[in-house]
Amino acid sequence: MNAIIEKLNDLQHNECTGLMTHVVVGYPSLEANVSVVQAMARAGADFVELQLPFSDPVADGPTMMRANDLSLSGGTKVADAFALVRRLRETVAIPLLLMSYFNLVHSYGVEAFCAEAAATGVSGLLIPDMPIQEEETEKLFATAERFGLLNVCFVSPATTSARLEQIAKFARGFVYCFATYGVTGARETLDPELVTYLERTKLTLQLPLAVGFGIKKRSQVEQIAPLAEVAIVGSAMLDRYDTLPEGKKLEGIEALVRELKV
Amino acid sequence: MKLFFPTTFDADAGGHFGPFGGQYVPEMLYPALQELNGAYNVARQDANFERELLDLFQHFSGRPTPLYFAENLTRQLGGARIFIKNEGLNHTGAHKINHALGQALLAKRMGKKRLIAETGAGQHGLATATVAAKFGFECTIFMGEVDIARQRPNVFWMEQLGAEVRSVEFGSRTLKDAVNAAIKDWIATVRDTHYLLGSCLGPHPFPSMNRDFQSIVGLEVREQLKEYGVDKPDYLVACVGGGSNAMGLFNAFLDDSAVHLIGVEAGGRGVTKVGEHAVRFGAGRPGVVEGYKSLFLQDSEGQIQPTHSVSAGLDYAGVGPQLAYMHSRGRLVMHYATDIEVLAALKTLIKTEGIIPALESAHAVAEAIKLAPTLSSSQSIVVNLSGRGDKDIFIVAEALGDEKWKAFLKRAAL
Repeated sequence: MNAIIEKLNDLQHNECTGLMTHVVVGYPSLEANVSVVQAMARAGADFVELQLPFSDPVADGPTMMRANDLSLSGGTKVADAFALVRRLRETVAIPLLLMSYFNLVHSYGVEAFCAEAAATGVSGLLIPDMPIQEEETEKLFATAERFGLLNVCFVSPATTSARLEQIAKFARGFVYCFATYGVTGARETLDPELVTYLERTKLTLQLPLAVGFGIKKRSQVEQIAPLAEVAIVGSAMLDRYDTLPEGKKLEGIEALVRELKV
Repeated sequence: MKLFFPTTFDADAGGHFGPFGGQYVPEMLYPALQELNGAYNVARQDANFERELLDLFQHFSGRPTPLYFAENLTRQLGGARIFIKNEGLNHTGAHKINHALGQALLAKRMGKKRLIAETGAGQHGLATATVAAKFGFECTIFMGEVDIARQRPNVFWMEQLGAEVRSVEFGSRTLKDAVNAAIKDWIATVRDTHYLLGSCLGPHPFPSMNRDFQSIVGLEVREQLKEYGVDKPDYLVACVGGGSNAMGLFNAFLDDSAVHLIGVEAGGRGVTKVGEHAVRFGAGRPGVVEGYKSLFLQDSEGQIQPTHSVSAGLDYAGVGPQLAYMHSRGRLVMHYATDIEVLAALKTLIKTEGIIPALESAHAVAEAIKLAPTLSSSQSIVVNLSGRGDKDIFIVAEALGDEKWKAFLKRAAL
């Protein structure tokens, strides 16, 4: 069974909300990635998203873009992400997902990318700019499935019921729900329409929901806990990491993960 | 005149031109693209929409733009007859107003309150700010920091027209980063904002829609050539950044294989070094960026590479998917002109015909100068002069090293 599904089953069994955290591969360094992900796992994160840095990250906010830029100018390659996964697999047991813009996957070759991801111990893929209507051409969902990877589907508050029905045909494991309009970045309050949106999504897709974009406080995780199975925290992790002085960073990340784990 | 007509090079229902095009966008944008596609499909079959747009073309933008026989240039080069389709005589100085008017009408129909756009040279931003002022939209223009620095006159006028010009200070700080910034804004504001994308690229339906709004260029050329006793042109030549002026000229002739189509890319400071040019045909390979699949200048991993051109409007790593498709089917030949050739062509056209072309359009002129002498006097070339050169005064004066201009700048700075 895919490790993500096992973890989701555990979470349900233990009646707690999952926490998915995020790092940009190669930011600030691959060495730092290893210790940060270890710290996240130690503090109770349930899943970690490893984002491949890209030159044109259209769905990312300023914090993430800066991390993408700095990682690339440090020379990070796709192969480094796979090597990182291999290293992490030695010490970290929680499921790891690769987040990437589609061009990197396309350039690597969908088949080769999925094969390598599966071989290194990746459990899932998050490719925000490879929507279901391009599957006929790209065969990403089908190839990922063949290699035992979950290629995660996305929904947003503007997704119509008809579109949800379409997405239902491809969705496996869990669904990534954008919580508010907007690119990644910490915001103050949750969308007031969130409840109806998440209920509607769950009703159609019949899958666990992971809610992302804008979560940075425990109170927000508590708000979504009755509605969703997993809280996704990206920019807030990176912000915390960036603002803490050297020597305090890992401690700070661990504290934030503990605070957000409900 | 029928603005909307099918060709055998059209996209399928999902916006695929053969292996190119499509709709590779984050889910947040999908509903907006569906809404736009729906509105566009209704509009293109609505005689009222066509009438309204043609009326704006005529009375607001000053169409038809002239098709001018460049007699002096033709004589000097001694070959094919050269005709210039002078899109620079449009209101706001370039062909960009054509799709800006079309999209503004659509945005009004969809009940949007705000327009956003990216811009490179500033011509598309200026056209968008202009239609925003005319139709009463709020307006934000995204422009790379590098382009703002080199196109200050357009920035000034956009602001006077009521637009906010937002400086994009990430990535290469040029056109592709402005597109990224506009997409990010759209993700956050999609309910009341229309993204008035400025070329035949991006996710479906933008490539097809903007091509249709630009097709007026080729339709006029076909009629205007008759006045010169020319049944059809032998060659059509247009510069290619994203491809809006090229598609505008080509579309009406796509299914007539007797008409040769030539696109001209920015050869910049030379095509052998990464970052010194924007030659996607040849140096680029298929990729998926900014919502569409096409040829992109990218490294072996798929990271987008920097580009350079003396003209901000051609300084872009991707290219419209329909052009990539036409090229793959052998319907389109692509050449390039270097910065040096472009400046020489600009000077030649100014001196021989008294026409000041935009630096972008001067790429097409450079190609015509190479091509005409190889053809016979019974043949004809139509060059799309996509814009006029007023906006480029600072760049051209500096590139030509004009001492009096330098002295003027020094005095003005005091």
